[in-house]
Parts: sequence; C-alpha cells; structure tokens
Amino acid sequence: MPEGSASLQLAVGDRVVYPNQGVCRVSAIDVKEVAGQKLTFVTMRREEDGAVVMVPEGKVLAIGVRKVASAEDVEAIFAFLRSDSDKADLDWKQRARTNLDRMTQGGIMGLAEVVKGLQVLSELRPLPTKERELYDNARHLLVTEVAAALSTAEVNAEDAIDIVLFPPGRERPKRTAAEFQREDGDLDLDSDLLGLDSDLDLPSDEEPAEEEPSEESESQEEEESSEESAPKKRGRPPKAKAEGAEGAEPAAPKKRGRPPKPKPEASAEGAEPAAPKKRGRPPKPKPPEVEGAPPAAPKKRGRPPKVKPPEGES
Amino acid sequence: MIRVVTLDPFDDKQLAKFNRTLYTAFGVGSEHSGSAEVPAGMSEPLDAEKLIDEVKGIRSYKDDKVLILTTRKLKDRELPSGVAPTAGFARQGKDRAILTIAPHKDLESAFKAVSRHALHQLGHLWELHHCLDPRCSMYPPWTPSFVQGEAIFCTFCREKSEQKIRLAKS
Repeated sequence: MPEGSASLQLAVGDRVVYPNQGVCRVSAIDVKEVAGQKLTFVTMRREEDGAVVMVPEGKVLAIGVRKVASAEDVEAIFAFLRSDSDKADLDWKQRARTNLDRMTQGGIMGLAEVVKGLQVLSELRPLPTKERELYDNARHLLVTEVAAALSTAEVNAEDAIDIVLFPPGRERPKRTAAEFQREDGDLDLDSDLLGLDSDLDLPSDEEPAEEEPSEESESQEEEESSEESAPKKRGRPPKAKAEGAEGAEPAAPKKRGRPPKPKPEASAEGAEPAAPKKRGRPPKPKPPEVEGAPPAAPKKRGRPPKVKPPEGES
Repeated sequence: MIRVVTLDPFDDKQLAKFNRTLYTAFGVGSEHSGSAEVPAGMSEPLDAEKLIDEVKGIRSYKDDKVLILTTRKLKDRELPSGVAPTAGFARQGKDRAILTIAPHKDLESAFKAVSRHALHQLGHLWELHHCLDPRCSMYPPWTPSFVQGEAIFCTFCREKSEQKIRLAKS
C-alpha cells in the first residue's frame, strides 16, 4: 500500500499522483451506469499533458493513487538523497524487480530510491539502455511531484534534487565493485563484470590428449604454490574436488566437449600398426583372374555401338 | 527554430558561429533575432526567472525556442536544498531560456563553455532532464568538469531531443 493512500478521500480539485503517470488533478467524481451497474468514477486529468483517466472509486486505492507529497516528505527525500546509505543491487534481476515495485507502490520515497540507486550504480559503470530509461522516468516523476509539493517550477525542483545528488564544486566519486560487496561476500556481479569469457578453457583440438593431465597437474601445482602470494582471482569459484583416499592419484579434471574415441588395442606386441583408414568410397573388388586368359579389353566409355542386323535375312 | 536574442552587444561573427553550433547540436535552424531591453528597475545580478517573464520585444512563433543571451550576471537561486549557481535558466518544456556569459567578457574567450551551457538550457526547453554522463551537455552545470566538456549530447539525450523536436514539428 503506497504511503498517503490509507485513507484517501478525494474531492474535485484535489491533486493526486497516479503511479507511473505523474501528478493529476481530480476533475470530476460522478456516477455512471456501466453494463447495468451504477459505478462511481473518479476522473483525473494529468497536469503535464491533459490526458484523462477514469477510475472506479473502489479501485483507486488498489491502483495506488495517492495524495501529492507534503513539504515534510520532500525534506525527508532530500535527507535520503544526501545520505550515503543506498548501495545498488548488482543483481540485475533483483534490481529490476525491486525498482518496479518502488515505482508502482513506493510513493515518492520509492521514486527517490530508484533515482538514488541507479545514480550510485552509474558511478560504477554506465547504465544499460532500459535502466537509463527507467532512471529518466523516475527522475521525471520525482521532479514533477517535488515541484507540485513545493509549488515551484520544475527546473527549480530538479536543481534542488541535483544540488543534493551532485553537490556544487565536487565531482562524482568513482565507485568500485568492492564497495557493493554484501556481508556474505557475494558480489552478485553480472557476467560482464566477471569476465567469464576469459575463464572458459575450452580444450583445443591440436593439443595431444596425453599431455594434458601433466600440464594441468603442473598448473595445479603452480596454482597451489602461488595461492598464498597471488591475489584472489575474480570470477566463479572453482568447484569442490571430490575427496579421495590419501595417496591415490588425483582424478583427471573433467574435460569439456565430446570425449575422445577409444583407441583399438593392439592384439600382440610387435604387430604392425593398422593402416590409417582412408576416407571416401571403398575401391570395387577386382574379379578373380584366370591364368592364361587374355586380358580383358579396356572398357570403352560412351554409348555402346548399335547392333547391326544380320545380312540376307530379308 | 531557435532564436537567439541578445540583451547586450555581441560580435556578429561570434554569434553566427554560436548559431552554427546550436544548429549542429539540434538539427534545427538557429538565428540571431535581434536584441531586447532589460526591463526597467532590474539591476545586476539579474533575477533569471523574473527576467524571462518580463523581457519585452521578442517576436517568435509558437514552436520557436528563444534563447536570451546576456553579459550580465544572474542571481544564484535559493532552493529548499541549498543555493543553485545560476549561469542560465529555462522553464521545462516552455519556450524561453536565458544564458549569461559572465564572468567572461565576450563569446570568443569562452565559446566552448557558453555553447555547452546553451545546449543545456535549450535541452530543458525540449524537456530533457539532467543526465548522468559527464560528457553530455545535460550534466548538472555547476560541476567542475562541465565547462571543460564539448557542446554535445549523449546518445540518450540526443535521441530524446530529436524525438521531441519531431513531435513538435508534427
């Protein structure tokens, strides 16, 4: 339930805020007959462009229509924007869900939270297009409501907000991902921040299969030796290894991709290695040769000659 | 159409260059439309809000945006959250903006900064809000890096201003 809407008694001329639409003025409250039912409709006109919306009186609270914030609320907004309390959520799904709730049901403080959160996030990296649009919408709604609450021009309301967000004479700080780290140590970074692409160790086809375990065991040893000195790598943590008996050979790491085909085992030592299998159509079997027989004439290509009719028959 | 109206004498060549910059930024014709007088009884520093409403002698069409250019100082605005340094002022979505070149004496000495300020105020006339990108002209103008930047918009603000201008034309 948005703030200020718990007991909403509307009268013609009241200024209200329609969630995601902006400041409206109640222009009429009248009874209309719709499908045989008599319903009381509240007609609101958006101040920005004069767009009209009619809402059944019973739905006004459910939609989230509320009175315009007071001057005290605006002071609280300035105090919130001035504080350094808000850290943006780096999980984009969670952030999108939270921001949507804030926009529709959070009241003026919800709008301020969206603006502040995205502004803080923009100090870490540029906002993606959708969030830039969301930021602009939230800022627009916040500015219009603050202007309505303080009865001042929109530009003055925007400057009043931005003096807090961008104090004069000071540049915005550059944020690092470490500042957004939560208590459990999980950064919740998106894949573009993690640089996952570089972590994908796809097996190359050129490397011989026998050499890989030795290389990897070497690299594992190197990693173990350099674990203490080297800084902790960013990205997905390695999977836990299966615990085996002590002294047993470590299991080879699971390779990605198609497993290699099993090689045919030689039947006996010293046997000749099998000839490499030729690709393409197998040659036709030759007919058994008969000793003393004349060699077959080479087969002529082309259409066979017509059979001549025997002479003197007619 | 952007109409530049001057309250004080400016060099014509510099004004022509200034108009070309505005034309490049918005894709809308820009011209110097003469000069106007400061209303009687107003003294320096000028109250920007009052001056915009009271200045007389500006002829323009309904869709035109008027930029009033002056060399005189503007008074900083007292806002609920503090004092806003005021080098210009524009009403959101309306048709008039004012801009001072003070503390510089002429356009030539601070052409880049004044152009960037002009884009900022005209952007407000086309309903642009302040931007997060420090390279964009809609970045808050009281930040130290603002005057060092180029007179350009970021992609988002440029597209939004183009959209608003298209809507205004249709």
